[in-house]
Amino acid sequence: MNMHKIISGSFFILAMTVNFGFFYGDPTILIEHSSYELFAAIVVNLIATVLKLGDRTQLGAVLLATSIVADIQLIASATVWAFAEYIVKDVGTEAATAIVSLSGGALLANIVSVILFIADTIKSKR
Amino acid sequence: MNEQIIWIILKRLRTPFLVIIVTFAISILGLVLIPGTDGNGNPYQMTFFDAFYFVTYMASTIGFGEAPYTFNYEQRMWVSFAIYFTVIGWFYGIGAIVSLIQDDALRKALSRNSFLNQVKRINQPFYIILGYNGITKSIIDRLNGKDYRIVVLEKDEEKIDELILENFYPNVPAFVGDATNQKMLKIAGIHQKNCAGIISLFGDDMVNSKIATISQLLNKKIDIIVKATSKQQVEHFKSMNLKHVKNPFDIISKRIYYGITAPHIWLLEMWMYGHVLKLKNRDKFPKGRYIIYGNGRLGTAIEEGLKKAGVEYVIQDFDTKKYIKRKNTTIFGDEEDMASLEKLQVKESVCIIAATQNDLINLTIINRAKQLNPDISTMARENSLDDLNIFQASKINKIYVVERILADATYNYIARPLADLFIMEARKKDDTWAEVIINMLHNITGKNPTYFETKIDDAHAYALTRKLSEGEQITLSNLRRSRENREELLHIVYLLLKRGEEIYLMPNGSMPLQLGDELLIVSDEENYDDFEYIVNNIYELEYVLGFSANS
Repeated sequence: MNMHKIISGSFFILAMTVNFGFFYGDPTILIEHSSYELFAAIVVNLIATVLKLGDRTQLGAVLLATSIVADIQLIASATVWAFAEYIVKDVGTEAATAIVSLSGGALLANIVSVILFIADTIKSKR
Repeated sequence: MNEQIIWIILKRLRTPFLVIIVTFAISILGLVLIPGTDGNGNPYQMTFFDAFYFVTYMASTIGFGEAPYTFNYEQRMWVSFAIYFTVIGWFYGIGAIVSLIQDDALRKALSRNSFLNQVKRINQPFYIILGYNGITKSIIDRLNGKDYRIVVLEKDEEKIDELILENFYPNVPAFVGDATNQKMLKIAGIHQKNCAGIISLFGDDMVNSKIATISQLLNKKIDIIVKATSKQQVEHFKSMNLKHVKNPFDIISKRIYYGITAPHIWLLEMWMYGHVLKLKNRDKFPKGRYIIYGNGRLGTAIEEGLKKAGVEYVIQDFDTKKYIKRKNTTIFGDEEDMASLEKLQVKESVCIIAATQNDLINLTIINRAKQLNPDISTMARENSLDDLNIFQASKINKIYVVERILADATYNYIARPLADLFIMEARKKDDTWAEVIINMLHNITGKNPTYFETKIDDAHAYALTRKLSEGEQITLSNLRRSRENREELLHIVYLLLKRGEEIYLMPNGSMPLQLGDELLIVSDEENYDDFEYIVNNIYELEYVLGFSANS
């Protein structure tokens, strides 16, 4: 057991759970999706990405890739939201669905990442 | 290798990134949560976008002002906390990136990368030189950029800095690395197709032997030029099938032998190494009794040469280290030393050779010997190249600098292969032959000729190659005509012609040329220029061969 493993592991899983928290709910109704949760998801995902930096193994590279995908999806989701709010000045059903489904994509990436992480843990001999 | 650089950067940037993300996140969240007031005094909640925008320019100390509305006091209290919080995080991040540039591991990875790229980009044949010092520098000076490029591996970083300050053109890629490590040899490009060879002239025979073995395993096709200072070592290298073993002491021993028995052959050889083509009085080896002072490797080599030449000599035992330790001085010549010189019969001898390993002792031996016998001819070994001026000033007849002999031999082997061949062939002849040749060279090409090597191929003799491949018969003497007036002769001498494995010493003028022939030509710059015009320019060639302008 080492401290770095605990911290990074908890962030990997937290990234997935917070992401799920935002994603969960009727995609057409934006009230069901809290902007605070999206913010938290972005921050936690960024931290998870940084924690995955610098691992030179094959697995480390794949983990980093999934994290980057999740970041891109979540930031895209936030960008769509800001665009709809300030430029179009109307967050309609179409925008709401886009925001939620983008975060859904991020969720998939996060799930893959967590599965890989768990698989690696099970494989390890200690 | 690029990979490695990226990984180093990523690993180092982990903490700064984390700090920036966390400080930003906390500041943004605070701004969103604290209720604000809009222009009309109504309550207003900042959105995430507003907060992100504000924090971004606040943290980077750009500071566009309070947006979207002027802040109230709750917000300002939070912002004054956030300023210190984020700005410190931001500066830490920038500081980490700047210090990363100075990071030792990264710098090493970067320089290794640029070295690799430099070596890869060389498209001429190149030699890998191991170790940078006086010898290898003089090889680089002469060899670099002519037909070959040079790559240097050196253990000592300071020496690499020295090399960089030399500003060689074209650039000599150099890298800090242990030459006996095969990884370093691979980095230096030993696997590359255009790697012509590797030069290892370390003082330690063991190191040379190790390098030769590794290099031969890594690339069978390259030339391996190694130094060997003992007979056993030479035998060992020969058994490894290395053709180019340079033993400086052997060279000296042979030179002494030829210098005494066949001075004109000696002169031809020395001329190939840059000596003027004239036997000066001080160059002549006197006839009589020789004294060798010092029986180290050089002393023994000289002894061997003298013995072979059948000259009477005595050799004096001398241990430099013990001498310095015992007498606590490097000045030779107290009463005991003088007595030993007397005992060696300096007054009855014609030549004294100071071959110890200390320059100062060598100089003082010569001085003392001259005191006893002003007519004695002197030779001395010089150990470090820095003292050259003192040695030249002290009017010693011959100075042996082992390092320089080694550098010259290596250079000639690589850049002047025909000159090397010529020396070997000339040694089979007798002294009268050499004297005739020297007189002929003086008559035709002047008092101080130089020599050139060329090959009959597209690159060196374009016009001639075309004529020959059309089936024309062209002899050596056909080409020996002035391009100003074809009735007059060009002042050049063909010293040697190499056709495949066959070597023709002083080839006959009626000999027809073939494609691929290699020629060793003696001439001066001007006449050789003319020769190059003739073999490269089709009009000059046709004029010289006697085609009339109309036909």
